[in-house]
Amino acid sequence: MIRTTRRSFLKQTAAVGGAALLRPALALGEEPAPPALAVARAGGEKVPDAELGPLARLLTREAMAALGGMERFVGKDDVVWIKPNIGWNRAPELAACTNPDVVAELAALCLAAGAKRVKVGDHPCHKAEQTYRTSGIQAAAEAAGAEVVFLDRSRFREVDLGGKRLEKWALYPEIIEADLVINVPVAKHHGLARATLAMKNYMGIIGGRRNAWHQDLAQCLVDITAYMKPRLCVLDAVRVLTAHGPIGGNPADVKRLDTVAAATDIVALDALGAELLGHRAADIASVRAAEAAGLGTADWRSLPHAEREVS
Amino acid sequence: MTAAGRARRLVWLRRAVQTAGLLLFLGLLVATRQRDGAEASPWLQLWFDLDPLVLLGTWLSAHSVAGLSLLALITVAVTLVLGRVFCGWLCPLGTLHNAVSALRRRGAARRAMGRFSPWQRLKLGLLAALLVMALFGVHWLGVLDPFGLFTRSMTTAVLPALDVIVGDGATAIYAADPRLGPFPLTRISEPVYRFFRDHVFHGPGPAFDGAVLVALIFTAALVVNLVRPRFWCRYVCPLGALLGLLSRRAPLRLVQTDACTHCGKCAASCPAAAQPEKPGEWLPGECFGCWNCVAACPVDAVDFAWEPFWRRPRAGSDGVTRRGAIKALAAGLGGLLVLRLPPQARARAYNPALVRPPGARSEREFLQRCVQCGLCMKACPTNALQPTLLEAGLEGLWTPVLVPRLGYCEYECKLCGEVCPTEAIQRLTLAEKKETRIGLAVIDTTRCLPYAYGRSCIVCEEHCPVPEKAIYFVETEVPLRGGGTRVLKQPKVDADRCIGCGICEAKCPFQDRAAIRVTSAGESRHPDNQPILPGAEPLDADPYADPYGG
Repeated sequence: MIRTTRRSFLKQTAAVGGAALLRPALALGEEPAPPALAVARAGGEKVPDAELGPLARLLTREAMAALGGMERFVGKDDVVWIKPNIGWNRAPELAACTNPDVVAELAALCLAAGAKRVKVGDHPCHKAEQTYRTSGIQAAAEAAGAEVVFLDRSRFREVDLGGKRLEKWALYPEIIEADLVINVPVAKHHGLARATLAMKNYMGIIGGRRNAWHQDLAQCLVDITAYMKPRLCVLDAVRVLTAHGPIGGNPADVKRLDTVAAATDIVALDALGAELLGHRAADIASVRAAEAAGLGTADWRSLPHAEREVS
Repeated sequence: MTAAGRARRLVWLRRAVQTAGLLLFLGLLVATRQRDGAEASPWLQLWFDLDPLVLLGTWLSAHSVAGLSLLALITVAVTLVLGRVFCGWLCPLGTLHNAVSALRRRGAARRAMGRFSPWQRLKLGLLAALLVMALFGVHWLGVLDPFGLFTRSMTTAVLPALDVIVGDGATAIYAADPRLGPFPLTRISEPVYRFFRDHVFHGPGPAFDGAVLVALIFTAALVVNLVRPRFWCRYVCPLGALLGLLSRRAPLRLVQTDACTHCGKCAASCPAAAQPEKPGEWLPGECFGCWNCVAACPVDAVDFAWEPFWRRPRAGSDGVTRRGAIKALAAGLGGLLVLRLPPQARARAYNPALVRPPGARSEREFLQRCVQCGLCMKACPTNALQPTLLEAGLEGLWTPVLVPRLGYCEYECKLCGEVCPTEAIQRLTLAEKKETRIGLAVIDTTRCLPYAYGRSCIVCEEHCPVPEKAIYFVETEVPLRGGGTRVLKQPKVDADRCIGCGICEAKCPFQDRAAIRVTSAGESRHPDNQPILPGAEPLDADPYADPYGG
């Protein structure tokens, strides 16, 4: 197992930077391009459910390290908004919300990378005062040093999305004003969209009558994703919800994949997520539409990527 | 020390106790909300448990009493010994009336207000009428019970009004961002707003249908204190009347001596018009035991003293007559008959809009217990529980109804049953609650997007919290206007699984009238209101199964 420390990261950065500088002179064959997507999977024997927390943290750390470390995205004194899925009043075991340990680990990594403030928040479907607590995210994020923010329904502000379907929509100012928004969905089944992944997770930063988006979900998600210009998305597939999503409720519908993936390419990440849920990427309308709109590459294997197994 | 000197200290002690009582009332009210996993504390209903009127009324109408309500016997015992001190020292609504009464103009007009009025017997008449109604199962006591009135008013009117001030005010300041020189006003408004959001409202501020009527009545009850001090307690309060009856032979009595100079200061200080100034005509059933008169007397001519209960006490008369009693009983009978006239009150009709909270007893038994206090509405985390106006008939005025347009019944919550002081809503375990049907969803295919407008949606299916989904969809080929077809997912309701929580209606994209609505049909509490034979049509193993699901 590899631990990324600030020291090792600096060394790596120096090495990569040095290699890049030397490249024209030495005409090295392969440039070590930074990966666009990194997957960390648990190998070996399955850990019992009770020990899933530390594993989720390790997977998150590994995926981020493989992607080049949090320092690639977080600058000193940055304000980071972590946007998990905290949509439902459901316990972590039911995989309706993002794994609290994944969220906490990301918050800790951001702070270690020099972030000034890390805020965690979502605009949930159930009441935030309940979902934040039941999901375990409030306690985990606060313990990791992040601030948990409750969104005020009266404080959304209409912004120009300039999208094909959405010209304007109400967004939450505090989120779009952050230096970095880390989109952290959990991979779940969804009746209409088949799968709800990173692009759909942006529905938690919008206000207004967002339920109307279902009438042209793929295009609406393309519009919001284009506006948000994601730099970092982290997919929680530690536990995934395979049926009766996105709210679930039956433990039998939950499957442990013990996987966390991080990516700079949201389309690649959603394509990978679709595969993890047993679909082909092309079956997910929003993935198709986003690729067509030039927001990323669905064939994530064609991108520079890293896969790591941890145990 | 003189009697007046001692009494002045007692008056200050009383004010401290009164303040503590009012703060305890407000504290318990604010604490009546959703908390971490734990069950709600049984002490949240403390004031109702201490209220002998609720105990007596519920016992008369439902022939049963809720667990801790026997605490009211303490109030009874104290009243039998000390008189109406509950009104004078403890009652939070009485304390509020006291405070408002203190705003009255001082001087001559104030003195004239001290005189006993025969209209003070009105409260006894109301008490008698309400108890007659309760005996026949019409539990209207909560309409006038001080804790029913106060809790309902605070929950549905005062707290939302506070949200209008604090929430809307702070949001307006936030939007305009005005500055005083270099100082942004949001620096003050935002912390205040957050304090109220996080510690008083616990989320977005609530709002209630019919709050205007409640607010008008509450305001009127407060304003009339300017006409007569503690108007409500003197003329209207049925609990005060009941405690007054219990006070008539209390051994602690006001003793008036010959030292009296008839200066009238005691009468001018008496909030109850209990005639402390008339030797031998003091009215124990009116007196709040507030000690004002003793403190006010310049010559120590009046003081409280113990008298053995077997001695026939000297006291004035409030002039209650047999004729008056008969009128009150007749009014109660008349009132009860009027309330019982409509078909719904006789269980011959079911109002589709009358979706009661989970655990609510069958309508008759429910109305025999509900004291219209609104604690369930305070507790409801989604603001779904609203006070009725006429949905349950006049008999069911201000009883809780679930209005899915405004909120939904949270699947993981059972708080309303835990805070109900009279078990009109029964305590359920979470497992029981999840199986309790409060209604049934019906899809309006003339509005529903995939049926009526050829658009995809199924937001209702997305939100359905039943683990196996009570709303599923069928993929249907729909003809389009310009020719051709489109496959749409059309939602359907599985009547065997729907529990009527209403989140589908709450989240439907139609804001004015949802395309999926919950009515009371199928509610567990009524064996007659059942349109559907359970499980008569076997369903496919899982109509929802996803071919790609893992």
